[in-house]
Amino acid sequence: MPTSSAEETIQRLIFSLSELEQLGQTLISGHSNFNVSSKTYLRITLGTLQVTRGAILCYHPTDNYLTVAASAPELDSTPIEIEPDEVSSILDCSHVEIGSPPEELQDFINRNSDLFNGTAMHRLWVPLKIHDEFLGILGLGEFLGRDKLEEWEQELLTILAHQISIAIAYTRIVEGIQSEKFRLFMLAESAPQICQLLQPEDAAEQVLHQAVALLDANMGCLMLVHPQQQMLELLDAFPKSLISENGDHLQSISLKDINITSPETKDKTALNMLASVVGEGRTNRCSAKMDDVFGGRNLMVGPIQGRDGDILGVLIVGDKEERGGRTLEFTEEDEMLLDSFAKQAGVAIENAHLHQEALEARELQSEMEEARKIQENLIPDTLPEIPGYEVAGYYVPRGPVGGDYFDCIELPNGGWGLSIADVSGKGMQAALLMATLRAGLLSEISSSKARTDTELIDMNEELIEMAMTLNSLLYVSGTEEKYATFFYSHLNPETDLLTSLNGGHNPPLIVRKDGNIQWLGQEIGGLPLGMFPNEMVPAIAEYQAEQTKLESGDVVVYYTDGVTETVNIDDEFYDDERLEQDAIACADNDAPSICNFIQKAVTDFQGDADQFDDLTLLVLRKK
Amino acid sequence: MANKFDINIRAEQEYAVLETEGYLNDALGEQLSQKAQDLIEKGYTQLVINLAKTALINSIGISILIEIIEALDEREGTLNFCGLSATQERTFRMMAIAKYAGIFPDEKTAVADFQ
Repeated sequence: MPTSSAEETIQRLIFSLSELEQLGQTLISGHSNFNVSSKTYLRITLGTLQVTRGAILCYHPTDNYLTVAASAPELDSTPIEIEPDEVSSILDCSHVEIGSPPEELQDFINRNSDLFNGTAMHRLWVPLKIHDEFLGILGLGEFLGRDKLEEWEQELLTILAHQISIAIAYTRIVEGIQSEKFRLFMLAESAPQICQLLQPEDAAEQVLHQAVALLDANMGCLMLVHPQQQMLELLDAFPKSLISENGDHLQSISLKDINITSPETKDKTALNMLASVVGEGRTNRCSAKMDDVFGGRNLMVGPIQGRDGDILGVLIVGDKEERGGRTLEFTEEDEMLLDSFAKQAGVAIENAHLHQEALEARELQSEMEEARKIQENLIPDTLPEIPGYEVAGYYVPRGPVGGDYFDCIELPNGGWGLSIADVSGKGMQAALLMATLRAGLLSEISSSKARTDTELIDMNEELIEMAMTLNSLLYVSGTEEKYATFFYSHLNPETDLLTSLNGGHNPPLIVRKDGNIQWLGQEIGGLPLGMFPNEMVPAIAEYQAEQTKLESGDVVVYYTDGVTETVNIDDEFYDDERLEQDAIACADNDAPSICNFIQKAVTDFQGDADQFDDLTLLVLRKK
Repeated sequence: MANKFDINIRAEQEYAVLETEGYLNDALGEQLSQKAQDLIEKGYTQLVINLAKTALINSIGISILIEIIEALDEREGTLNFCGLSATQERTFRMMAIAKYAGIFPDEKTAVADFQ
């Protein structure tokens, strides 16, 4: 080696060692990683060895491929597949002369001849490794002014390759620590964050997004379980385009008759896996080739459990990504992470639903209170005095607001209208329907045309006409489930004739002075009001009226089903027979006393049993 | 959140702002890295990354942001972030990103820091 050349080489070495030391310190301080510094490492290597072309390829062991980390000049960045035995072959060599490679590598070189021939990789390869762990290849192209490297240059190349290997390994360790740190932080951070969300939709979206980011996934779905239908129903998806890409079949997935496989089963399909997670409550995963649901993705599914252990839904993540855009299969560590996260998600989703239910219950309670006020305003505080008669009413709400109603109204024709009704349903809708019925009834009886009830036909027709009008009114006011049973009697106190019409209500009971009983309107039962349109009524059961004459001492007891359907702790009904007995027992008393006697008898019969329907009585007694 | 992702660049004389939109994963991260690298090559050493339209960042996105910080550090440049959610800000502090890059509530304050 001439002196000038030797000095030059020493200077090159000193410069390179200085740069390497600088890089090493930066690396160890954690301020740099190989993705950023790979070009500098390559530059130092090429400069130190006086080589004009070269490249550093990094090996990705999960999927067995190499990528270009740095090259001069630029190499195609397409990943290069490499077989495990080819990796072993490179590891066995201190270096590989591309002109005379080991036989085991010939195929690899031939497969990638376009990439390697005449490029930064076409002369010499040095394996990048730490012990037996293959990390990549340092490739060299042209040696400036010579055909091959000197022996000392080869030794230097080995040292440089070792430095590069340390940098790659160190970067991977740091990246791994950073990734785990990020994941643990996200896991810890996400719990309080998602548990604070009170809207179920917000909680679902956050759960899904956090899971996707936490698992480095590129898609995710949150599905709820319908145990009875054995079905999963889509609640949210990320990205939203997942739904359009996969068609409507993602909206609901039937798990009926799908085999449940153990988590260890390798050849399970995505459907098998979903059924297993729902059935067994264990996180599970499957490979892209077995995905028959989401269009061929690597998948992992975690059960979302409620506090009582029920499976509320499943959290699905797919296409775990790695740097460079390739997708990977999820690992056991990922499974543990999703399992932990799904537990938090279960609490968050259940919390949001409970909050929603509490809000709805509060709204319902408020509505019930309003409805109660409306209903109470519709029930008369006092009843009028009817010449020659006593009349008394009793109403006590029990449980949620029902729709009981009674009234006694003086009519323009000198008669009296006695009515009792029970509107279906509960709450505001029932109260409003009752108000509609009462308004309609008042309107009808105020325009009563029949002057007398001496002619039965006239009164019958008028009551039937009234029933049809009220039926029509309630039918258009309510939904299919909204209707009212209704009983109406027209009393002429001068003739003591009681003309009655029944719209599907419990027949009132008449206790005659002599103790005989009669069920009023039992034979003329028409349909409840508002159940069918007027045009259908004649075909089903026409409204009819009947007339009876009241004698002194006769008692008529109008009531709602809250009376006869009161149950005691033995689940027995108070029923018609007990009503008969109690009404007979007190029939000699005045109307208010009869009312009190019967309501007390019913309440005593009920005892400690729960009751959910109102108790309403209207008693008419001829003095 | 839709899967839409995009990067808008506003390059001024002294600095440039990169505004991301969508999930900051490998795909968006690589684009961001490339665009930041292009700006650095053009001589920009003061960059702002506005993450106001990025609600989700995964670990690969974080590692790419760290690389951009390092690439700027090599040129003795400065990177400021803005538009971070509270969780993102805590994440950045925990991942030590906040040690080597500024965190500001909005673009205006992030840019003002350069002056």
